[in-house]
Amino acid sequence: MMSGQDIDQMEVMNFQKLAHELLPGGASFESCIACGLCASGCPASGFYGMDPRRFIRMAMLGLNEELSRTPWVWTCTQCKRCQYVCPMSIDVSVLVAAARSNWPKAKVPKGIMRSCDAQLRDVSTSAMGVRSEDFVEIVEETAEELRGSDRRFADIKVPVDKKGAEFIINQNSREPAAEPEELAPLWKIFDYVGADWTYASKGWAAENFCMFTGDDELWKQMVKTRVDAINELGCKTWINTECGHSFYTIWKGVERFGLKADFEAGSLVSYYAKWIREGKLPVNSDWNRDNLKFTLQDPCQLVRKSIGDPVADDLRFVARTLVGEDNFIDMQPGGNANYCCGGGGGFLQAGMSEQRRAYGRRKFDQIATTKADYVLTPCHNCHSQMEDLGEFYGGQYRVVHFWTLICLSLGILGPDERKYLGPDLAGIGLET
Amino acid sequence: MSGHQGAKRHYETEVLIIGGGVTGTGIMRDLALRGIHSLLIDRQDLNAGASGGNHGLLHSGGRYVAADAETAAECRAESELLKRLAPECIDPCGGLFVAVEGDDPEFAARFPDHCAVAGIPCEEISPTEARKMEPALSEKVYAAYQVPDATVDPFRLTLQNVNHARRLGFGDFLPHMGVEGFDIEGGELKAARCRDLRSGEEVLISARQIVNAGGAWAMNIARLAGCADVNLIYSKGTLIVSNTRLSQRVVNRLRLPGDGDILVPGGTVSLLGTSSVTIEDPDDARPTIAEVDKILAEGAVMMPPLADTRFIRAFSGVRPLLMASGAAEDGRKASRGFSLITHEDQNLSNFVTIAGGKLTTFRLMAEKTGDLVAQRLGNSAPCATHTVPLPTENAVGWTEPGFAARDWYQRADASDMILCECEMTPQSAVDAIVSDAPGSEHHMSLQAIALRSRVGKGACQGAFCAMRVTSHLYDRGIYDSPEGLELMRDFVTERFKGVRPVLWGRQLPQMELAETLHCGLTGLDLLGAKKPGSGRAS
Amino acid sequence: MKRELRRVETGLAIIGAGLAGFAASIFALRRGLDTAQLGHTGAIAYTTGYFDLLGVMDGRVLDEPWAGLDALREAEPAHPFARLGNDEIREAFEIFTDAISDMGIAYSKPGDHNLSALLPSGVAKPTLSVPATMLPGVEAFRTGAKTLIVDFPGLQGFSATEFKVNFAASWPALSVCRIEFPGFEGQQLYPEVLARSLEAPHGREPLAEKIRAVLDGAEYVGLPAVLGMHAPDEVHADMERRIGARLFEIPTIPPAVPGIRLREMFERELPRRGLVLVPQLKVSRSELGADGAVHHLQGPLEDLEISARATLLATGRFLSGGLYADQAGLRETLLGLPVVQPSGRDNWYRRDYLDPRGHQLNRAGLETDAQFRPLDAAGAPVNPRLFAAGAVLAHQDWVRQRCGAGLAIAAAYGAVKAAAEMLNGSA
Repeated sequence: MMSGQDIDQMEVMNFQKLAHELLPGGASFESCIACGLCASGCPASGFYGMDPRRFIRMAMLGLNEELSRTPWVWTCTQCKRCQYVCPMSIDVSVLVAAARSNWPKAKVPKGIMRSCDAQLRDVSTSAMGVRSEDFVEIVEETAEELRGSDRRFADIKVPVDKKGAEFIINQNSREPAAEPEELAPLWKIFDYVGADWTYASKGWAAENFCMFTGDDELWKQMVKTRVDAINELGCKTWINTECGHSFYTIWKGVERFGLKADFEAGSLVSYYAKWIREGKLPVNSDWNRDNLKFTLQDPCQLVRKSIGDPVADDLRFVARTLVGEDNFIDMQPGGNANYCCGGGGGFLQAGMSEQRRAYGRRKFDQIATTKADYVLTPCHNCHSQMEDLGEFYGGQYRVVHFWTLICLSLGILGPDERKYLGPDLAGIGLET
Repeated sequence: MSGHQGAKRHYETEVLIIGGGVTGTGIMRDLALRGIHSLLIDRQDLNAGASGGNHGLLHSGGRYVAADAETAAECRAESELLKRLAPECIDPCGGLFVAVEGDDPEFAARFPDHCAVAGIPCEEISPTEARKMEPALSEKVYAAYQVPDATVDPFRLTLQNVNHARRLGFGDFLPHMGVEGFDIEGGELKAARCRDLRSGEEVLISARQIVNAGGAWAMNIARLAGCADVNLIYSKGTLIVSNTRLSQRVVNRLRLPGDGDILVPGGTVSLLGTSSVTIEDPDDARPTIAEVDKILAEGAVMMPPLADTRFIRAFSGVRPLLMASGAAEDGRKASRGFSLITHEDQNLSNFVTIAGGKLTTFRLMAEKTGDLVAQRLGNSAPCATHTVPLPTENAVGWTEPGFAARDWYQRADASDMILCECEMTPQSAVDAIVSDAPGSEHHMSLQAIALRSRVGKGACQGAFCAMRVTSHLYDRGIYDSPEGLELMRDFVTERFKGVRPVLWGRQLPQMELAETLHCGLTGLDLLGAKKPGSGRAS
Repeated sequence: MKRELRRVETGLAIIGAGLAGFAASIFALRRGLDTAQLGHTGAIAYTTGYFDLLGVMDGRVLDEPWAGLDALREAEPAHPFARLGNDEIREAFEIFTDAISDMGIAYSKPGDHNLSALLPSGVAKPTLSVPATMLPGVEAFRTGAKTLIVDFPGLQGFSATEFKVNFAASWPALSVCRIEFPGFEGQQLYPEVLARSLEAPHGREPLAEKIRAVLDGAEYVGLPAVLGMHAPDEVHADMERRIGARLFEIPTIPPAVPGIRLREMFERELPRRGLVLVPQLKVSRSELGADGAVHHLQGPLEDLEISARATLLATGRFLSGGLYADQAGLRETLLGLPVVQPSGRDNWYRRDYLDPRGHQLNRAGLETDAQFRPLDAAGAPVNPRLFAAGAVLAHQDWVRQRCGAGLAIAAAYGAVKAAAEMLNGSA
């Protein structure tokens, strides 16, 4: 990916010093006992001769040039599993981010940099180039189609920039850019529970490739655009859609850059769980007549790196309710200890397919062990990566969003909103 | 070499050199370059004494300018030679001399003049500049001078000395060979009566000349030959090793040498030293907790972050100091730093002891010894060690800190399994040492491999690598009996001597884990303990 | 946006996520206590998987641990084992091994004699209970059965040859074979990764096939511990069936499977049994009061405040962070409790590392009374609602005495019992 000359021109960072500055006292590289639990538990171990322990050891040996230049930092998804299993809680991902920041923009994997550049081009902050006005138009058109095609939703409101709405929600660019029909299930859910919600025309996009470049300034700029837009609308709660890193990027960005955010942050998953518990979303597993098996992928960014057990529990509660207690098979390990799928941290977009798939081999094995027909996940990166892994390794599973199953269970999933369902479910609820 | 005289092993050589330190190996190479064959023996292994127990400082001479201008000048000249002839053993990192509030300002002020007398380049820099160069320096530094100090890897130096002599076909090395006496006849030492300390076997070594380069043990060896003219005082010096490198340069305290006044980079680590304690027995040179605490307290005055640094081990060397009277009586004193004792006034014509001196001047000491031995043997070849570069090769390059890691990373060959993760030493390095490094003619143990590499020298201090290397040696057939576990036990026991005094803070969890692994997982504490009824148990 | 604060109220807070902590949770749940367990994993990750009760006394290997306990109470009256009778310790051990067998990792029933369990060095270890995946190795060794030991290139620190050479005198019928682990050729291997790959059904046959090909009439096959992670017994049985020989695991050096297996099982199963578990976060601060304690933890996004009417410290030693040492001495890290310790660093460690008597520092720790309540300098309980168990206790040397699991389980049992009596009495 880089020619020798380019690499030689890169600045050399002092990783020992950085570790000392960036990590807490008892959990810095200096506390490493070289046991290798991090490396053992890291799917990126072995690429380019590196692993988390080796990163620490090389930093301690002063191999700064090697660390400054190793492309391994783009295969580390910054999932923080190394920290999770380390008896000393040493977080290698912080230093990986620092190493990434050192790479000249021209040498950052193109998929990441291009996406970040696209995000910087418009206040939409969309990595797929959906501009603010386009988004508003797509939403309006799609809503109009929905109103026309389904009498039950003839009056559905899809507010944009509604000041003072209780909830403001972001939207992954994939839907408006490539599959607008996938926008509707979520709107239907909001409509079903009677939520007072809105989109923002600015900063609505739920992705942040700028964070993955390692450049704090770009990360900050991205978060600030979004936070300002939310502040401006005066909404009480920002709900993060079914996406992992877009949640982490906001709360962590607000904390890291000391931004002023006049709202609370919540995950859509937590609200699904809440609404189900409150009876507002009366979902059940009656639709699962064939007892299809489902498993669940915990997005690292949402679970281990953000909310932890409460959201892991919510995810399982929602999944179990939706698919039936006996039809839910947990992946092992799961929750906070779960493995990253290999799509995170920009890896999916970094163009290193061979390594990415080797990384994801562990996820594929985990999924295969459950013998599940479907994998549920509230994360677009996980979704795409697991689909790719299934295709590559010959898996028989499909990957679905929660919103698809919720609408399916509620009997409100439209015929064109079934892209991710297999033939076994494609006809459910359409018979009448 | 041939075995005869019944069951006893017998070797014949032109010159027997006793003592595998940097001086003994330097003499071996010096002689080999003159075409003289020597057999080098050591009771333990290479660098078992002061050559392995020092801070690896290649003196600019700055440290001696105030007390001993002649030694200082010698150091300067020799270190220039070594930088040119053995560059891969040397890190020309430079050095600083700093005075801290409370240190004698007059001493500091005289420093540049002293340097000038000894011909040592010395540049005054501002305290601010000094702190920019070495951020760990105390705010209380009030004077600073820059000198051309460097560091040297004494292990690599020794290995390369031996290796060069081997490759020239004029030198062999026998480790674990202790001298127990000499056969003396007609004013000559005819042979050394030795014992192979691993097998217990008696060994006879006949030689035309015998060189005593026994370092701190030189007096004991001389006495075995009936010579009472080597008089040594043993001064124990202790150093502590940090987990990482704390300064780029050698940092010296600008005062007369004392405890905790020098911090020397050792590639990837730093060494803080030293203490100076007179001891009775050179075999009793363990670092003590009191010494460590004292060195550290003093060192932290110069560099405050030392107080919060993780240290991974301590070690001691014994400086063999010549008693002035003995040296004076000899009359062939080569310099105030070292002494060549011919023993001719002890009625011996083929015995010589080289004593005193410094790591930096080892080549000069070897030259003077070589000159005498060559002259006695009627060999007129001149010394060549000041012009012939010291060659290196793969099997002797693994002691360099960081080398294995860089090398492995560049190759990133996963099938070349790393055995020591702290220092990233792979199995190929162990294999190269076992097959090619000096001493490989004999049974290589974990300890011997560690001496010739960085195995066991990182943060874990042998907790993991002892087990991994041992397994590898079993796989390679180097170990083929339960003795392999005993050798692992010996190795970790030896490492512990150095770890014990620095066990606090972040090194203690490491130790706790090591003990769990060595006892609970490997059963080393109960090797040989019998369980009623069945075989060995732990 | 502000940090969330989550408050949890509980009867018993167990601090520490090692064997003692998890054992305490099992006992507490069994007694019907409202229980929360907090803390970061420490040394449990490094276990062999063998559960020792008492394997060594005064450098002697014990065949009869129960008789050994009787002798220990005489010889070391301050040892934590001396606070309990054999019947209680046996009950505790049985409850514990039954519980984990029930949770997904079958263990052998603790018996009257120690077992000779196998170490990778080719040395036997006296222990009381072993995982079912390792038990056939104990039998094979005892009977001297014809056994094939398999190892894999790329797996650090595991040599079938080392195992064979060191067992050769007492177990001549050993043979060895090195095979490439299918799907991981030419790579550095981690037991954890191999174990997870065998968990997937498609991962098993390629390995089984390779082993079958080299079996050569062996009755038993020994492998490094890689037979699955969350369903080891299932993987073990399936592999035995595929290979057509009895199969056993041998522990490996860290990072090893048995510890990760136990940790993941506890984290998965105990919450299902009613435990409030906050794993992988360190308690940053605790306040002790007359009515109980408040423990503070910081998650990435939220703060946690756990109010508990009783607290049990199972925080371990230096590796797990329960104790910390500086040059001047030892301290207990969470509450600053007094630590019984040798005077001065010179007395911490003996000069000989492997001196069979062990080191004085190993016996440092918390002084407790018969109810496992930490004592202050004056010998009175620091707080009637505070208890301690496991390696943090003084007067034991679990590594040398081969009593780590026994100490964790017995002390947890005793401390939970005392805590339950206190809570029930005061409720």
